[in-house]
Amino acid sequence: MAIQGIDFASLSLMDALDLAILVEDEAKERYEEFAAQMEQHRTPEAARFFHFMAANEAKHGMELAVRRTERFGTEPRNVSQAMIFDVEAPDYDAARAFMSPRQAMQAALASEVKAHGFFVAALPALKDPDVRALFEELRNEEIEHQELVQIELAKLGPDSGLSDEDFVDEPAAQ
Amino acid sequence: MSATCEFQAKDYKSDLKPIWCPGCGDFSVVQGVYRALAAIGRPPHEIAFVSGIGCSSRIPGYTTAYGFNSVHGRALPIAQGIKLANPDLLVLAAGGDGDGFSIGGGHIAHLIRRNIDITYIVMDNQIYGLTKGQLSPTSQKGRVTCTSKFGSLEEPVNPLLYVLAYGAGFVAQASPTDLVGMAAIIEEAIRYPGFAFVNIQSPCVTYGEEAQQIKGLKAISESLASLGHDTADRLAAMNLAQHYGSKMHLGVFYRNPEPAPTYDGLVRERQALLSKDALPKERILDLFIKK
Amino acid sequence: MRKDLVFGMAGSGGDGIVSAGDSLLQAAAAEGYHGVMTKSFGSQIRGGESSCRVRISTTPILNPGGNLDVAVALNWDDFLKFGAELPVSGNTVVIYEAATGIPENQIPLVGVTPLQVIAVPIAAMAKETAGTERAKNTVVLGLIAGWFGIGAVAVMKGIRKKLAKKGEELVEANQRAFDAGRAFAMEHPLKTSMNVVASETKGQVKLITDGNDMCAAAAIFAGCQFFGGYPITPSTEIMQFFTEHVWKYGGAVLQAEDEIAGIGAAVGASFAGKKAMTATSGPGLSLKSEMMGLASIAELPLVIVDVQRGGPSTGLPTKTEQSDLFAAAFSAHGDVIRPVLAPTSVADTFRITVEAFNIAEFYQTPVIVLSDQEIASRKETLDPIDTSQFKIINRLQPVGSDLQDYKRFKQTENHISPISHPGMLGGTYLASGIEHVESGAPTNSGSVHQRMNDKRTKKFDPLKDRKDLFEVLGDPNAPIAMIAWGSVAGVCREALEMAKEQGLNVKLLVPYLLYPVAEGVYNDFFRSVQKGLVIEQTHLAQTFKLLRMHIDLPKGMKSLARSGANPFLPSEIVVALNHLLSELQRSHEGNLQPQE
Repeated sequence: MAIQGIDFASLSLMDALDLAILVEDEAKERYEEFAAQMEQHRTPEAARFFHFMAANEAKHGMELAVRRTERFGTEPRNVSQAMIFDVEAPDYDAARAFMSPRQAMQAALASEVKAHGFFVAALPALKDPDVRALFEELRNEEIEHQELVQIELAKLGPDSGLSDEDFVDEPAAQ
Repeated sequence: MSATCEFQAKDYKSDLKPIWCPGCGDFSVVQGVYRALAAIGRPPHEIAFVSGIGCSSRIPGYTTAYGFNSVHGRALPIAQGIKLANPDLLVLAAGGDGDGFSIGGGHIAHLIRRNIDITYIVMDNQIYGLTKGQLSPTSQKGRVTCTSKFGSLEEPVNPLLYVLAYGAGFVAQASPTDLVGMAAIIEEAIRYPGFAFVNIQSPCVTYGEEAQQIKGLKAISESLASLGHDTADRLAAMNLAQHYGSKMHLGVFYRNPEPAPTYDGLVRERQALLSKDALPKERILDLFIKK
Repeated sequence: MRKDLVFGMAGSGGDGIVSAGDSLLQAAAAEGYHGVMTKSFGSQIRGGESSCRVRISTTPILNPGGNLDVAVALNWDDFLKFGAELPVSGNTVVIYEAATGIPENQIPLVGVTPLQVIAVPIAAMAKETAGTERAKNTVVLGLIAGWFGIGAVAVMKGIRKKLAKKGEELVEANQRAFDAGRAFAMEHPLKTSMNVVASETKGQVKLITDGNDMCAAAAIFAGCQFFGGYPITPSTEIMQFFTEHVWKYGGAVLQAEDEIAGIGAAVGASFAGKKAMTATSGPGLSLKSEMMGLASIAELPLVIVDVQRGGPSTGLPTKTEQSDLFAAAFSAHGDVIRPVLAPTSVADTFRITVEAFNIAEFYQTPVIVLSDQEIASRKETLDPIDTSQFKIINRLQPVGSDLQDYKRFKQTENHISPISHPGMLGGTYLASGIEHVESGAPTNSGSVHQRMNDKRTKKFDPLKDRKDLFEVLGDPNAPIAMIAWGSVAGVCREALEMAKEQGLNVKLLVPYLLYPVAEGVYNDFFRSVQKGLVIEQTHLAQTFKLLRMHIDLPKGMKSLARSGANPFLPSEIVVALNHLLSELQRSHEGNLQPQE
């Protein structure tokens, strides 16, 4: 996880909203990318799950975007994509060919935990009460997200302890 | 990224789906390339992106630039031909450590001494992935692979020290552990007027060792800026580069504060100078007239 | 009076015998003669043996001739090293250095009695007149002017021009040496006069150049704007020409770090939209073969000149051979057709090189120009070439509708797809060595591979109908035939004339297009043929075998093949043709004999 060029102490509400939208966008794009990788690599169940996560992130991002527009209209953004990296998006190396739905969910869970950690860590530095409130709300939502993933995990039933990796073919030389 | 930027990262992304294994570091590298190109803002059709053979050499096809996925080890010879034929183009070359430092290892020294304005990105994963996990020129000594069953007997190449010693004007290292930093480094490399080299530690998720995965890399990574490294100090850069393999320094090792003239630039000057009194092409055989 | 004279001269590198040959050729051209000069060297960079042949004629000539009319030996050791390259016969006048101490009746030429043998104190005359033995070559030129009537004025005019910058003293010393040689000749007339008749074309403009320079000039004329290469004998002069001239035409040249990088840069330049070229010799051709395959599958125009020398490996780096034919046609993995063209002289190197670019551009393919050491480094006098008669073809570029959803490797009726290049809006694509679909996207589909192989090979079909890339000389209905290409074709042209004079009914097929093999052209040619020879400088009869692979040759077609370096002589080919004729007559007689 990385954030650069942002002074939390002087973060305005508009910038905080924009930042939150970028965080959701990054996560959405990463999940979409993962879903495409899974489709490309014959791992359809994980692909479905990553699509599901991408949709969730998109939905959340949209909600934030509506709030931003209501409050600040089309005022130009001061923060950019280049200021954040891997805040809520899973790490690039979290994906694996033939990953089981359980592994996919665990990867997602880890990123929600990571995102939660980000908002928790940022809170003490925040001065603006509105921004603080927003970050607390976002922090809580990350917990809701974790619960969402936990529900999906529960649907899977108990872990057989077997890994799909143990059943698949060797990689093919090119 | 300036607000007036005409192109966005997605404008450089092609419809081809990467063949890379999920979890591969190259997914992040290509994102870094998209972002850097968007920051530069050259339209895709003015960019030529050349590679050799290897997993990472598939990268040109995943961009909307003119791509050339050529033969093993020969990205640089082809890239220099493109740049000399049309210096207006933005020319990128990329490939893996085997492509660049083993089969094609003879070329880099010469592009550096010519100072052709090309940016060369090596996705260094210390292994041959496409052929299923053989020893590569940057594999650590003692590494066990399917072609070194009892451990390799040879020292790895040090790509950073290698290109610094040849006199490259721009030498940097990046990693998928910091995509933002990687994009900025690639952008700076492209903007450097001359041959620029970026080594990217890009883990192989299928054949790479645990220590070289993202988590392992994070543990040994250290930003050069945080060390207070002076990028104009080539000898200091060479000292730091000696830690290749044990530490992962991220950022710019060396940037020539006074970039030398580029070969392609000198070619243009020579063309301008000599074309003034040329015989028309149709009369070139007049050169052979004996009176 | 003679209309044609062949000089062969040999000495050590320090004797300046090759520069004497140059002066002689230039003087002959100035006097309106046609001329050809070949050089041959030992393996030392300096101070080894060197030789040249200069042939001068009142009519156009296309080979350096057979047996020598005039042999000049500055010392016998060096002369003899060239063996069959400098063949002396009973019609040869032998001139040699008296200081060798060998009596005129004991010269070391086995099994031959020359027409006349003259020992001349060449070194002593040089020392006496010019103050240095180094002027021996000028004395030789004086002897030639005196005995054979060539260059009496023009030689010194040329030397004067060449040495003007170095001072009048040097010019005068040469003049004295030249005059001494000429005076010696006047005082010792030949038993049989061998003066050459004056040329009727005296005063007309003549060009003099060698095959390598001609090839490079032709490339620039054809629009070549990039050369990437690596020094290798005997092709390097092509790169040297580019380094001097290509800039003037907005082009660039790169002396690359190796043979592979040289062709690689040319492949890159072609991808970038420029006409590009590389040149090499045998060992370099081997190194370039992977890149040639890349250019074939990526369908990139490219011209590769291979100036053949003796092989394999280092072989005979300074001697000619035709043994790269298989490598040129076949050195590729995978199923590849790559056109191979061969010039037969310096003069037609122009046309063939331009043609190579046209074919490369039209068919989007690498094309090999298979030159050889003899053509590449021999100098010829040429009549001016009217360049306006040559059409220049440029690659088919996408326009308008092609650029809507552009498909670089689009299947078309003639299998040729419009090709874009970086910088062209709407034309972006992925060029690759990996198999690809029409858009350029990689694939490993067997059926696409089959279709693309079809496209990449069938596109060459029209090339096989290019009758203008073949020449048939002699009576088209003749029963006896010769087939020869490259520098050997020149020898066969002369053999054809000699055979005709002897009443033989012979014809000659000269292919400029060697590959793909134009079966139709050969089958037409063979219709009247009962006996014949495929004549070539390869040990394994590569041409004969290449033809046999594609065509049912008439039973009477035989191979006359031998290793390079030693040239074929027109006379020995005529002997072989006479042998075929007698075989033919015997078989006819056999047919006429009544059955018992």
